[in-house]
Amino acid sequence: MSFLAFFLIVMSLLSFVVAQLVLKRAVAFPAKIGLSSPRFIWLFALGVLLMTISFFITLGLLQRFALSYLYPFQGLSVIMIVVMAAVVLKEKLTIQLMIGSLLITAGIVLVSMTY
Amino acid sequence: MQNRLSGFGNPWLQLTVSVVCVFVSELLLKRGATEVAEPDSAWSWTGVNGLASPLVWWAILLIIASFISWLYVLRYIPITIAYPVSRIVDVLVPLGCWIFLGEFISPLRWSGIALVVIGLALVAKPVAQIEQRL
Repeated sequence: MSFLAFFLIVMSLLSFVVAQLVLKRAVAFPAKIGLSSPRFIWLFALGVLLMTISFFITLGLLQRFALSYLYPFQGLSVIMIVVMAAVVLKEKLTIQLMIGSLLITAGIVLVSMTY
Repeated sequence: MQNRLSGFGNPWLQLTVSVVCVFVSELLLKRGATEVAEPDSAWSWTGVNGLASPLVWWAILLIIASFISWLYVLRYIPITIAYPVSRIVDVLVPLGCWIFLGEFISPLRWSGIALVVIGLALVAKPVAQIEQRL
């Protein structure tokens, strides 16, 4: 794998993780504020933009690598999202959830390393 | 989860819809991106030339559907639970590649898939207990 490919995989992953946290914030609005609030629109647009960037980078990578090799890198997003949601969004993080997330991450990385 | 909704509005059903759409879209993207691949072109790193394939457009429709379901899921389920559970797709995709695209799964890769399944059970178990009590 070239440096460029590695860089693009990391960029695709990071933009995806940040997009998920931004979108969670966007939809967590109280029902009375609704979809027309500028806060929702701004966060939603930012989340969609980040996901779009991640999508096109992935599409470019798919033209060079097998899906079953490339896709599991997304597995790292599990542990990144769980930890960042606990830190940034103050979501509850139990030991069981942490171990489960680590196993999912390890499993996905293992799948990707056996190509 | 305080607003536990039933029927089509059930966030767990929506999570399933989202996962199935992502699974099918990944297989379509791989087929579509491969059939129009031009690895020698500098532009192909951006992935934009993938849009020449109809399969990629079908995949985009499924991604939009999964995205709408996912936003609904995010509203009702904590992301620390919803996101790890949604990664069941990481088991489904290699299995789908094996069944539909003829890609090989080594014993080590099967072990990775097993780890993901155990991890999913650990993440989902407390949620299932909460649901049962309600």
